[in-house]
Amino acid sequence: MTIIDQEEFVPKDTFDAGGFSSPFEKRSKWSKLRRIPLYLTTIIMVAPYYWMITSSFKSVQELQKVPPTVVPNKWLLVNYFNTNFGNVNNNSTDPSNQRGLFQRFEEVQFGFFHYVLNSLFIVVTITVATMLISSLAAYVVSKHRMKGKRLIYLTIIGSMMVPWQVGIIPNFLTMSNLNWLDTYWAYIIPALPKAFIVFFLVQYLSSIPDELVESARIDRASEFTIWWRIILPLLKPAMIAMMIFASIGEWNNFLWPMIIANSPEMWNLPVALSMLRNNGAGNIGMQGIIMGASLLASIPTVLLFLVAQKHFIRGIALSGIK
Amino acid sequence: MSTSTPTVTALEPTRQRRKGFYKWSDSGLSSYLMLAPFVLLFVAFSIYPIFASFRLSFMRYNAICDEELSPCGSVRFGNYYRLFFEDDRFHKALLNTSYYVVGAVSLTIIASLMLAIALQADTKSNRILRVVFFLPSVTSSIATVLVWGWVFRGDGVGLLNGVLAAMGISPVEWLATPALAVPILVLMSVWGGAGYGMILFLAGINSIPTYYYEAAMIDGANPRQRFRYITLPLLKPVMTYVGITSIIGAFQIFEGVYLLFPTSVGSVGGLQDMALMLVPYLYDQGFIHFRLGYASAIAWVLFGIIFIISLINLKLSKSFEDLR
Repeated sequence: MTIIDQEEFVPKDTFDAGGFSSPFEKRSKWSKLRRIPLYLTTIIMVAPYYWMITSSFKSVQELQKVPPTVVPNKWLLVNYFNTNFGNVNNNSTDPSNQRGLFQRFEEVQFGFFHYVLNSLFIVVTITVATMLISSLAAYVVSKHRMKGKRLIYLTIIGSMMVPWQVGIIPNFLTMSNLNWLDTYWAYIIPALPKAFIVFFLVQYLSSIPDELVESARIDRASEFTIWWRIILPLLKPAMIAMMIFASIGEWNNFLWPMIIANSPEMWNLPVALSMLRNNGAGNIGMQGIIMGASLLASIPTVLLFLVAQKHFIRGIALSGIK
Repeated sequence: MSTSTPTVTALEPTRQRRKGFYKWSDSGLSSYLMLAPFVLLFVAFSIYPIFASFRLSFMRYNAICDEELSPCGSVRFGNYYRLFFEDDRFHKALLNTSYYVVGAVSLTIIASLMLAIALQADTKSNRILRVVFFLPSVTSSIATVLVWGWVFRGDGVGLLNGVLAAMGISPVEWLATPALAVPILVLMSVWGGAGYGMILFLAGINSIPTYYYEAAMIDGANPRQRFRYITLPLLKPVMTYVGITSIIGAFQIFEGVYLLFPTSVGSVGGLQDMALMLVPYLYDQGFIHFRLGYASAIAWVLFGIIFIISLINLKLSKSFEDLR
């Protein structure tokens, strides 16, 4: 018996990144078969996306088909913009005689895009503001010698244990007392203090030598200059990861906006989607429109993820392994 | 920190008589100015609400507080007494949430670990598959819930019933069958969360030094043994982290219940409250019925449960560490 199987004795650099390799290291004909469950799972993963995209391009007649068609017979845009709607020759009982997505939400300017803009505005404002105040706080907690900062930091860490729904009612009452219900303030201000971001930035800063800050102080740089010129550039990777986290979270925020936004002008995208669904729950024809809206609502975050994938993945990985 | 301490202490004598804000901080007022925006907002919207909701949870409170029509005031432990001993809807919500959390968390951990192992090699196809599996974590949660609603539609036009029809099985009323409500939500949760756990496990696996495996290979350990005796024990911290975060996340489920299981009477939870969970019930009591005190009590029960589970989880993982 040979001591080491030839297949197993591979030079180090042909190992996989981590070294646990795998039941697939022997390249037998079984290794391909072993991946079949993986591919089946992939199909389950992709199916809802496929269903969402194709459904949004089907005609109402096709959506009503039993069993449903896998590939649309004809790729149509009626669910987005129905040029035939309101045509006098059209039979009003015809189920396909309905508004497309962009012809709905007439009570607000720009219709559906009003909610896209609302969401964009809220997400960008929160993300930028929260990163600024969090990095300032993280800088002080990490690099200043200050009385009481340990208590502050422990409180910040401790608060991460508390589910945010615990504070939802007092926060609602605060918004109501400030007369902020149904305004952008209610979206933005309570969303600014994010304990996890400060925690993450402090962790990241602890790996940056204090000497950098000390030497800047000796050069008589003001604290704000140090923060802006030294800390922020050094924090860039961590900041990008956290910005993606924060913006995806805010983009998908649903429960809080539903509570504070009553008038259609103040809804964000998820609330507008849920309203579409509430109005057309039983109506099969509405499904194409709902799928189209879901598709459009998903595109920005998916794109953001694909563009900034590396930072994002690293952020998650860092958060898990401290 | 440790490298810089000598220089700082060396500077100390020159700053013996520190004045004003320098008494408390080496950077004086600017420390406070820089900390203020975050800390003030944090206290106002993260810390104060915790105590305020604790106080509310012992009160009858409805935001109107009219002496005659709807008085507010202390009920002592009345809210909690009602929750635990009288409120059948709450019991149902608690039971459903427990099933859901156990199912969703255990299956998500298993699925994400399996995915991490299957996709661990750094090949092109694996990189693409990782993105595919991660996609649900960044897709709008409302959008995914709406798509699942269309997949699980009860009549013949839904995707799943279409698949069943192709196999000659008659359509199932997925969302109107009480026994299926929680399993469907579990499935959605695993679908949505497995990719996130996978990334964490992948990072964990990649941080295990290669020479452990080399040593094990020389000792003749087969892949299964290497997994059992190297990978699994070394992944314990990641496992704890994934466990705690997904438990906390699972307890907070709302969108799926709210959108897929509506009721005609303007409350949430679906037929016979088959999908009622804690946060939807909190929403129902607080923002549909405006029982803000009672809803606060629900919030505190939720907090209590999550707190205890996190502690147990930390203690368990600590004691595992001691055993090794």
